[in-house]
Amino acid sequence: MKTLDLEGLTIGALAPLLKKKQISPLEITKSYLERIGKLNPKLNAYLAMAEDDALAAAKKAEREIRHGNYRGPLHGIPLSIKDNIATKGVITTAGSKILADWVPDHDATVVERLKAAGAIILGKTNMHEWAKGSNSINPFYGTPFNPWDTRRIPGGSSSGSAVAVAASLCLGSIGTDSAGSVRNPASLCGTVGLKPTFGRISTYGGVAGTGGYTVNHFGILTRSVRDCALMLNQTAGYDPKDPLSSDAPTVNYTKSLGTPVKGMKIGIIKGYFDEGIVSEVRETVDEALKTLKTLGMKTQEIEIPHIDLVPAAQAASTRPEANSDHDHYLRTRPRDYSPGLLYSLIAGLLTPAPVYVQAQRVRRLICQEFDEAFKSVQVILAPTIFSPAPTIDDCNRGYIEVDGKRINLQDRAGNFLTRYTIPFNVTGLPDMSICCGFSSGGLPIGMQIVAPPFREEVVFQVAEAYERATEWHKRNPPL
Amino acid sequence: MKDAVRRLNDEYQFNLTDREIDLVAQQAEEAALLFKPLFEVNVDGLTPLTKIDKRVRTVPLARKGKR
Repeated sequence: MKTLDLEGLTIGALAPLLKKKQISPLEITKSYLERIGKLNPKLNAYLAMAEDDALAAAKKAEREIRHGNYRGPLHGIPLSIKDNIATKGVITTAGSKILADWVPDHDATVVERLKAAGAIILGKTNMHEWAKGSNSINPFYGTPFNPWDTRRIPGGSSSGSAVAVAASLCLGSIGTDSAGSVRNPASLCGTVGLKPTFGRISTYGGVAGTGGYTVNHFGILTRSVRDCALMLNQTAGYDPKDPLSSDAPTVNYTKSLGTPVKGMKIGIIKGYFDEGIVSEVRETVDEALKTLKTLGMKTQEIEIPHIDLVPAAQAASTRPEANSDHDHYLRTRPRDYSPGLLYSLIAGLLTPAPVYVQAQRVRRLICQEFDEAFKSVQVILAPTIFSPAPTIDDCNRGYIEVDGKRINLQDRAGNFLTRYTIPFNVTGLPDMSICCGFSSGGLPIGMQIVAPPFREEVVFQVAEAYERATEWHKRNPPL
Repeated sequence: MKDAVRRLNDEYQFNLTDREIDLVAQQAEEAALLFKPLFEVNVDGLTPLTKIDKRVRTVPLARKGKR
């Protein structure tokens, strides 16, 4: 059997070795558990480990592969799951004090599907309290740290998932995203982060109160675009347990990888994604556009006339939906929320019902405007976040100072760290953040690639073409 | 808005301090300002978005502009 360096390892590289029995699932699982034991105290990526279950699953995978029963590219692959997704017999806290002792008696559909593919679930990843924020400063379980610079936040709320993937503490992770919670930490930690079309991955088994209903998605974080496609192949598709899941047909998402992008058009939305942007991020994304142009892609400015209403539509949707789930605990255990979250939940109780309904009507209008835009372009490209990762101190004081100006991280419209990602929660469009460069301080910068509804394969095609043309994804954090 | 927060405070028994009531009221007031432009848009003929559906997403673009 071979031994492997886990740093930078991908599912695409490991799977053939497992299939050919050149690597043992048990040994690889043990290696990851050992690496987690060594690095997790420094990074706080995992909130709970599922060591016994992982080793048992690895032994089973080993037996099956040895006997010629290879299930596919996720067989024997060590993964992690965000802690607001139910895992049978494994603690699921949602990063909250209230659910500190909750051990689900069932698996979320996404977990069930990964296990059916033979994947090994290593443990549960840390997150922002109740997924209600993106700095992931968690008063109950500690703050996960950005592996590129541990003074900085990893983003969130799927922070632990991104840290675990970036630091090679697993090969992929499932997160959730109601405002950017997969793409935001993917961008700040330099990984791939996919939020598929609304309804594409079942959200059955997601902890109520951690994402609302109409903007919430499960998503995937990996080291490479191909890995992400492999994981979506296994997790996408209709689920009768989730009334919001879609029965739109799925495809083999690896099929579009390697397909030329020449002649495809990229839509650029002016205005909305320029607000507050740090010059270094703008320049990096512009460079990425140039790279895509060298591959034969063209660009075109597009207009989304009501895009400035996105923050209002997002807030008016998520706040009442969250309150519906939190009402019981607000009545019984209000002081078991962190004070900031408690205040925002109470303020959310004062959102009038017509505001909620009006927001859903405006969302349809914005969706139609995106539909119109997609008549002339195949993808839309935008920065994922206005800035590289802020420090934990920046987040505590509420602003960053850059390019000679002060940018508040929180304003009336909500969390500024999610401003660029929420348009694709409001519209449900498939969107991937990939690393498109590094700041002068060595921090990853991400860009979003967005496609029409249920066209994830187009996202994969463009993202993989960019990945193949660049080297950013090969860098590893200095641990 | 402070009165509304006080009523919630009584109903839910949050035991908020005066300072906390101020903070929550301020957040709620800011949210009300944020939501106001949603009502300045013409959404005639548009039903609320509840699920992404390929068939629904192909309907023609609604009339744009403010009332």
